[in-house]
Amino acid sequence: MAMDIPASEDFGWLEADLDLHEDYIDEDLEPPLPEEEEAHIEEVHKRPQSESITKPDLLISDNRTIGSETEILQPKKRLLNPSLLNPSNVDESVEDKRCKFDSSVTEDEDDWMRYSPPPEEEVVVVEEDKEKFISRFATDIEGDFMPVTAPDGDRVYAKLIKEGNDDKLKKLEVKGPFKGLMLEPIGVLMQKVEQAELRKALEDSVASQIDENLAETPVVTEQLWVDKYSPNSFVELLSDEHTNREVLMWLKQWDTSVFGSELKSTRDDVLSALKRHSSVSQHKRVSSKNFSGRNTEFASHSETFGEHNRFEKEKYDSHASQELHNKKSKDSGPPEQKILLLCGAPGLGKTTLAHVAARHCGYRVVEINASDDRSSATIETKILDVVQMNSVMADSRPKCLVIDEIDGALGDGKGAVDVILKMVSADKKSDTGTESIIQSEQSGKSSSKKKRKDTALLRPVICICNDLYAPALRPLRNVAKVHVFVQPTVNRIVSRLKYICNKEGMRTSSIALTALAEYTECDIRACLNTLQFLNKKKEMLNVLDISSQVIGRKDTSKSVFDIWKEIFQKKRLKGVRKSMESCRSPVNEFTSLHSLISNCGNYDLLSDGIHENILQLNYHDPVMRKTVKCLHSLEVSDIFHQYLMRTQKMSLLVYQPAIAITIHGVVSQIEKPNIQWPKSFHRYRTSLVDKVEALHTWHNKISPCISRHISTKSFVEDLVSPLLHILSPPTLRPVALHLLSEKQKNEMAQLVRTMVSYAITYRNKKIDPLPGKLGYEALTDTQILSFDPPISDFVNFEGHRSNYFILALAVKQVLSHEVEKQKILNKSKDGNERTDLSRKDESSKPGPAQKNTINIRNLKNSSAPNQRETRSPANTIVSASTSGRSAMPSSEILKPSETTKKRTGGSFNFFERFRKLSANGSQITETVKKAPATSERDSRPVLFKFNEGFTNAVKRPVRMHEFLM
Amino acid sequence: MLWVDKYRPKTLDKVLVHEDVAQNLKKLVTEQDCPHLLFYGPPGSGKKTLIMALLRQMFGASAEKVKVENKNWKVDAGSRTIELELTTLSSTHHVELNPSDAGFQDRYIVQEIIKEMAKNRPIDTKGKKGFKVLVLNEVDKLSREAQHSLRRTMEKYSASCRLILCCDSSSKVTEAVRSRCLNIRVNAPKGDEIVKVLEFIGKKEGLQLPSGFAARIAEKSNRSLRRAILSFETCRVQQYPFTNNQVIPSMDWEEYVFEIASDIMKEQSPKRLFQVRGKLYELLVNCIPPEIILKRLLYELLKKLDFELKHEVCHWAAYYEHRMRLGQKAIFHIEAFVAKFMSIYKGFLIATFG
Repeated sequence: MAMDIPASEDFGWLEADLDLHEDYIDEDLEPPLPEEEEAHIEEVHKRPQSESITKPDLLISDNRTIGSETEILQPKKRLLNPSLLNPSNVDESVEDKRCKFDSSVTEDEDDWMRYSPPPEEEVVVVEEDKEKFISRFATDIEGDFMPVTAPDGDRVYAKLIKEGNDDKLKKLEVKGPFKGLMLEPIGVLMQKVEQAELRKALEDSVASQIDENLAETPVVTEQLWVDKYSPNSFVELLSDEHTNREVLMWLKQWDTSVFGSELKSTRDDVLSALKRHSSVSQHKRVSSKNFSGRNTEFASHSETFGEHNRFEKEKYDSHASQELHNKKSKDSGPPEQKILLLCGAPGLGKTTLAHVAARHCGYRVVEINASDDRSSATIETKILDVVQMNSVMADSRPKCLVIDEIDGALGDGKGAVDVILKMVSADKKSDTGTESIIQSEQSGKSSSKKKRKDTALLRPVICICNDLYAPALRPLRNVAKVHVFVQPTVNRIVSRLKYICNKEGMRTSSIALTALAEYTECDIRACLNTLQFLNKKKEMLNVLDISSQVIGRKDTSKSVFDIWKEIFQKKRLKGVRKSMESCRSPVNEFTSLHSLISNCGNYDLLSDGIHENILQLNYHDPVMRKTVKCLHSLEVSDIFHQYLMRTQKMSLLVYQPAIAITIHGVVSQIEKPNIQWPKSFHRYRTSLVDKVEALHTWHNKISPCISRHISTKSFVEDLVSPLLHILSPPTLRPVALHLLSEKQKNEMAQLVRTMVSYAITYRNKKIDPLPGKLGYEALTDTQILSFDPPISDFVNFEGHRSNYFILALAVKQVLSHEVEKQKILNKSKDGNERTDLSRKDESSKPGPAQKNTINIRNLKNSSAPNQRETRSPANTIVSASTSGRSAMPSSEILKPSETTKKRTGGSFNFFERFRKLSANGSQITETVKKAPATSERDSRPVLFKFNEGFTNAVKRPVRMHEFLM
Repeated sequence: MLWVDKYRPKTLDKVLVHEDVAQNLKKLVTEQDCPHLLFYGPPGSGKKTLIMALLRQMFGASAEKVKVENKNWKVDAGSRTIELELTTLSSTHHVELNPSDAGFQDRYIVQEIIKEMAKNRPIDTKGKKGFKVLVLNEVDKLSREAQHSLRRTMEKYSASCRLILCCDSSSKVTEAVRSRCLNIRVNAPKGDEIVKVLEFIGKKEGLQLPSGFAARIAEKSNRSLRRAILSFETCRVQQYPFTNNQVIPSMDWEEYVFEIASDIMKEQSPKRLFQVRGKLYELLVNCIPPEIILKRLLYELLKKLDFELKHEVCHWAAYYEHRMRLGQKAIFHIEAFVAKFMSIYKGFLIATFG
């Protein structure tokens, strides 16, 4: 007995570990709350009861089982007296040890002990079942069963009697999916089971079908083959294996968040059972010492995140499949991209895949189709219903939303896209918050789902479209996980078609089926419909006239990318096809390519794309003959296009496709071309337009007597390079203007005049992303002065460095300043304005009391006061403070006022006067100014009298216009 | 001001090159009967200068007072009205414009402006109604339709306006238009004429010209007077006391074409052609006309080519240039030429060296 019990206990742990460890750890690691204890007690209490009730169902009941049951009952009764528990326990050896360990038994320990028996007990139940209801065939067992593999590899199915363990089982299954479905062995096993099931089902149905067919005339209400043979399970899918797997993986990533603590579908029962099975088989190899380790491992599965993972990883390192599983559990929780976007040509099985995969993972599929109302408002409520609510109905599986043909209608279909996008963005915002919630959810304590923010996306959403690049889908593409469906291999389809034909009793050859599949471009739906149609007509599928037999070919226009690919890529000749090469001659290829290209219609774009990519192809061309030929055809196409545009003889467009086909004949290769969108020509176009525009604006700025001699062509051809040289003479020294010699000044002046006449100046420019010519300057100076009409860009060829001299920054600054000055001068010269008045004064040597009378028009009010600080001619020094020279403006008009005026500042302190003037300037003028005088002055020109006398003060040149300001 | 503009002859008397043409024009104008004129000749030969001098001769100094106008035109073309914007230079006596800027709608411009000119004819001092002059630049770029419409208006409004057409090549001007004009060919100045001009400028600027230096510039200038004067000034700026072996800076785009040509000579393969395409795009982006690129490229290639290939390559260059003018996307055609050249050259190399 004592020997037996640990073993059985072992087994029990294995079987029921999941749910146990959770509690086990809870109790071990942290002091549990009293409520929890209560709950456990309750649980323990309930189970034995129910078991005892159902005891009659147990066909064999061991003494020991009963004993343990009673024991469980006992501790519960003697809850407060743990010492009583020990003597009555059968499992003496174990319990004794524990007892010793817990000499001062706490309630926790006690709890643990009380709790531990159940697995033991359950195991026993199973074992009993095993002894009795073991079969090698699952079908022999009614009701739930459980596969068990013996150490020697024998596999048996054991009937499960689950009456008493209902809640327990549920718990088990809840944990199931966390461990990752994609485990290789699990997948295989799963498939086996399902295949077996399906085969059986199919055989049944087919048998009856055949009977029907043979016995009576075909029923009118015959089901479409497409529906009849649509795949019901994952393994049956015909689409690409990899894609299938990816989709399933993605769906599985939702498990942790969706099936937090919810009920599972039957399929998941099977899955978890399978998983348990696999873990059992592993376990047998592991020694019992690993026990505690394993416990924590499984516990960490349920907790999913955290440091447990590391430990877990160490444990499973060697096991490849487990590793995969680990990876999965690591990034579980709702996947990064919450939307799956499936796209591909019609008839490849996108919708089927979505449905099958979702069902497979235990979701209830809710489909929103193009035929449904897809306005934004209705769809929003619908989606929210699906995505956030749990159904209270019988079918309480979580829902999975499948939006079919999402690219369909632009206006309405956009509603769905918008709603989904809104939810995704809301999700991202609350992501940090949700993560913790998810964690608590995973611990299985409570369904905290309700705490979640309302708009978040809680259920997987699968969108299906034909055209990935539909404009409506552009925003969705960024957030969704995109899967592009590729055509399934012909072989796969043919074998499936063959299978169906056999079932339907239709006689076909695989060659014909292959031809059919190729003709329909692997569109399974079209194939099946055709076959059914032919079957109805009691016709044979004929290889030679498939085109007449297939009703309604799809009228798909392919994207330009596909057409380019078709042009550059030779069709691979398959073994099957070689046999029919006679009928699939180049003529056939020609027609197919021709229809393809003419369906597209945008020949201009097509030839651009060919031009863009043709030189990147890898064709053998030693003497460039092929290249010449291709470019020649492109030329022809271009000339053709131009001619068409000019003459508008659109009927000639018919000949355009032939040009592309010529190119196909010359360069097509078997290997896959790497095709790029023709960007360079458009880039060239736009930048050319920009440059021409820049030239034009500049051209308009130059004075007409120069600009009329410059055309765009002559500018770029003859003028730019010399102009750049001329504008940046290397002889110009970067020194201050007055340090230049007379000759240099002349040169400088000439340069400035040239720049002005050509409307060129230097401007501060931000360091552009492409520092071309001025590259090295950018490194040294943060400030770049470059030509204002960017004429230097016109010699800025890639990989070429113009060798004109680049002036130093200082020189440029001086130049730009001078240019501005010169411009102002020119302007004033034009308007006959004498702004260089003061300069004139400077030049005239201060003679004794020389009088200048200057007529100034348009004197501004605000500038007036300074001028009118008028005093007697004797007071020259006073006004020297403002002018810095002895020039003293005195107004004859205002003489009457000046006599009354008192001088505020004496002539004793020069600087004092300065300050006074600036500080009290307005005050002084206020006192001086008389309103009538102002009006009088405004009414007529002001006369200034310059009285230049002597001074010993500091001299400062002051311009006339500074007075006027 | 650049020397190009500074020493541009203002009157027909001061013209240094094409003196004979200038004298003929002077005679033509003084006789008061000016026909329509068509000036044609290569760029940099002095067509525009002659036209300006001619205008001055006709109208005196007032012809030089021009203003720039950005005019908006509203043209009724049957059912719709077309709005166009075009920059014109106009004095009281003449209007200058570049009709090809209007693109394919150029014919409306030409018609409209001629009609408008006919409406307000200037009256000269003697009370006699004079005529205005319309100077059309780049007539060879005018669309065929515009040229056809020009044909009629030229006759109809000949009393009120004279046309002076200016283009690089008269071959693109329709026969009908050509026959209605007095054709004046302004050929590219010869080397010694350019030298004469350069020496004149040198004297005015007070520069010491070493013997042969002006000739070198003239030789490099490709018989374009504008380019010669510009590179003369560039030389002056770069290094003044001229030395005889001074580098005369060349045009940047020509250097770039030279690079392309050496690329082509180095390797002949689709990959290399792809690189060449990138460089060709660079040139095209910078507004360099494709014909000029092709011509220059041929020039550079011929320099390096074996004698027996020259003829064939020239033939193909002409062939592709013709197709380029027929077509729209210049890059296709230039590239096709490059490919053809590569093919010929590679075949030649294989044949010669095995």
